[in-house]
Amino acid sequence: MRNWRHWKVAVTGINAHAENPGPGLAVARCLVEHREFRGSVLGLAYDALDAGLYDHDNCQSSYLIPYPSAGDEALLERIKVIHSLEGIDAVIPCLDSELQNFISLRSELADLGIQMLIPSRDQFNLRAKNHLVDLCSKIGVAVPRSKMLTDPGFFDRAAREGFEYPLVVKGVFYDAAIVYNAFEAKAAFSRLVGKWGYPCLVQEVVNGDELNLAGVGDGRGNLTGFVMMRKRAVTDKGKAWAGVTVVDEALHATASKLVRALAWRGPLEVEVIKGTDGKIYLIEINPRFPSWIYLSHAVDRNLPVAVLRMLAGEKDLQLTQHEPGTFFIRHARELIVNLKDFESVLVNGYCGGDAVDRSA
Amino acid sequence: MTDSLLAGALSQCSGDRLRQLAVSDTGFVFDPQTGQSFTVNATGRLVLDCLKRSDGLEEAAQCLAEDCDVPLELALSSVEAFLMQLGRYL
Repeated sequence: MRNWRHWKVAVTGINAHAENPGPGLAVARCLVEHREFRGSVLGLAYDALDAGLYDHDNCQSSYLIPYPSAGDEALLERIKVIHSLEGIDAVIPCLDSELQNFISLRSELADLGIQMLIPSRDQFNLRAKNHLVDLCSKIGVAVPRSKMLTDPGFFDRAAREGFEYPLVVKGVFYDAAIVYNAFEAKAAFSRLVGKWGYPCLVQEVVNGDELNLAGVGDGRGNLTGFVMMRKRAVTDKGKAWAGVTVVDEALHATASKLVRALAWRGPLEVEVIKGTDGKIYLIEINPRFPSWIYLSHAVDRNLPVAVLRMLAGEKDLQLTQHEPGTFFIRHARELIVNLKDFESVLVNGYCGGDAVDRSA
Repeated sequence: MTDSLLAGALSQCSGDRLRQLAVSDTGFVFDPQTGQSFTVNATGRLVLDCLKRSDGLEEAAQCLAEDCDVPLELALSSVEAFLMQLGRYL
């Protein structure tokens, strides 16, 4: 096996919509800027307007891949083509919606020499929004009062079922809305179901500070690396726009308990509210790195690099002591794209800094 | 009312909790547990320093009274007032 420092690493989720960016470009940046990494990052994008396709500072070359709804066979065929051109050593999937396909392809990709540190299907399903409450009640982690919904009629009888507005309505994969009455709730329900399918999750709002932990599980129940962050400013969608590293033992203990219970393998993000009562309430577990993961590089606990080290079998992840007080502030900027590159993406599904024909 | 506010503030501002705070010479205070930051003026910094070095309110007031050369009663009421305000940020 080649030294991980010289790997070609494919990264997905390289869309960068300002209000809700994918984590891929931040993961790529973590790898490219790490002092030991001498390899390169290959961007895998779903849309010709995904910024990472054209960001050659972070993605040396990039390819379009089929949308997750096309299924795992279509993804495998496309990856085989890209692999024959590029020689991929590892993939770091960065989007929830594609993980099922990558989980299905784990052994096929391993046979091609492509490694991934990802959870099993059981692990992935257990942490899903519709199973989270059961998991948490078994291991003693508090969650806001929640209910899975397929019938929007619930919102008219919410009070009778013991739920008080405001409530949070969440899509099965992404997206959420805070609603203050049945009318708003039904509108949010329709929008979320229309976009992400059934069911929806409804949760009571817990007042407190929103804390997040990004980490990596080793598949044997250990949280091998982590960074904790408190959001200081959020977008309209509640995504972190600014944040600061913190040290919260209760959050660390909760995340460790979840990783142990799931025997989680791979990157994850644990989102919690620290209530005004001091108690930690789990909001959700995302099965991938968050879009603020570049903060891990900034505090010398580079978690995407930790994933490569783990895949290479290294025991010492070389993470420094977790220190509080490092801020990030996200900003949007324009990438300039020339017509030739845009044409190459639309015609060949490829964009890169060389002149090799990749139209296969 | 004031007593209950003070009791609440005292529970929020235990010695261990205060010793976690990073306080710079400029009066910038960062709470590593919550990520919150705020500023205190020179007197506030002095009171905070006394509180961090002391085991209780009276000891902190004694420290403040000596540093500022004011009567103990005045120092005690100042420390209490400061604590009640600090409790809102921690």
